[in-house]
Amino acid sequence: METKQFVIIGVVIALVIAVAAPFLASGDPDGLESAFFSIYEAKPFMGSELDEDAAGTAEEQAIATTGNDFSYEAFMPDYSIPGMDKLGEVFAVVIGTLLMLILVFAVAKVSARPDN
Amino acid sequence: MHIPDAFIPMGQALVYWVIALVFIVLALRWARHSMGEEKIPLVAVLAAGIFAIQALNIPIPWGTSGHMVGAALAAIVLGSPFAGVFVLTLVLLVQGIIFGDGGITVMGANIINMGVIGGFVGYYGYTGIKGVIGNAYAAAFIAGWASLFVSAILCAVELAIAGTFPLGLGLTFMGTYHAVIGLIEGGITAVALYLIASARPDILEHPQAVSA
Repeated sequence: METKQFVIIGVVIALVIAVAAPFLASGDPDGLESAFFSIYEAKPFMGSELDEDAAGTAEEQAIATTGNDFSYEAFMPDYSIPGMDKLGEVFAVVIGTLLMLILVFAVAKVSARPDN
Repeated sequence: MHIPDAFIPMGQALVYWVIALVFIVLALRWARHSMGEEKIPLVAVLAAGIFAIQALNIPIPWGTSGHMVGAALAAIVLGSPFAGVFVLTLVLLVQGIIFGDGGITVMGANIINMGVIGGFVGYYGYTGIKGVIGNAYAAAFIAGWASLFVSAILCAVELAIAGTFPLGLGLTFMGTYHAVIGLIEGGITAVALYLIASARPDILEHPQAVSA
């Protein structure tokens, strides 16, 4: 397979995943969040019921423990566009995927071994 | 497994940043010496695919989900643990700054856990296991699983040092969830390696290894 063809197929696969992800992805907490909520008793270790109030308290407890209250407003928090719902999530992941493609191409171009 | 800012004190977070920067410099040196210009589009596509698949959280039991990290795959395909560091650093940078996924002050810890550990365990796990059992895809599955599991264990230790998780519970909970999430990492790593090896056996750094 030609490099051009490989790259085009690769980009298409990445974009298909990016468009599908907001519809298919599980909204459950990930492994780290789930461990965190379980340790702070907002959720049973082997259960699935999340106590939203306890989860909020847990986050405050973590900040109190570490003293790290750094906060930062991302442009597209949690892979969404504020004010848009599912379509915003699709745009967010697609924009992120294309941004990765351009950014990594540029950084790799600058840092790669010159051929001559 | 993206640690948010609140989970690690600022001072410790800075230490992780310094360690991460050492590996980032080593990854840039790897690129300068070993990443030929012909690899540039392939690295970019791999990174875009890893970013997209990281957005796909797959449910596991216990009201929990997990997603692929991808450092093992990048390291195996490009033939160096530093390829995992190179790709994951850029993925984590975009995730943290644009999407608020993973903290800013603690990004160094996330780069160590996912990029460095993922890349090194993934790469050396793959080459070591493949040498013993001879099958590249089984080796990629096991190495992918192990890369995620070891990342989670190190994450639990960091959070114990931070005072956020008690060590025993942290290891038990993180270990249990990520032992399952590791199956996602291993499975996608093996399938993606198969697809890449089928389409372009020449771009793999060890093409003879995959013909088995």
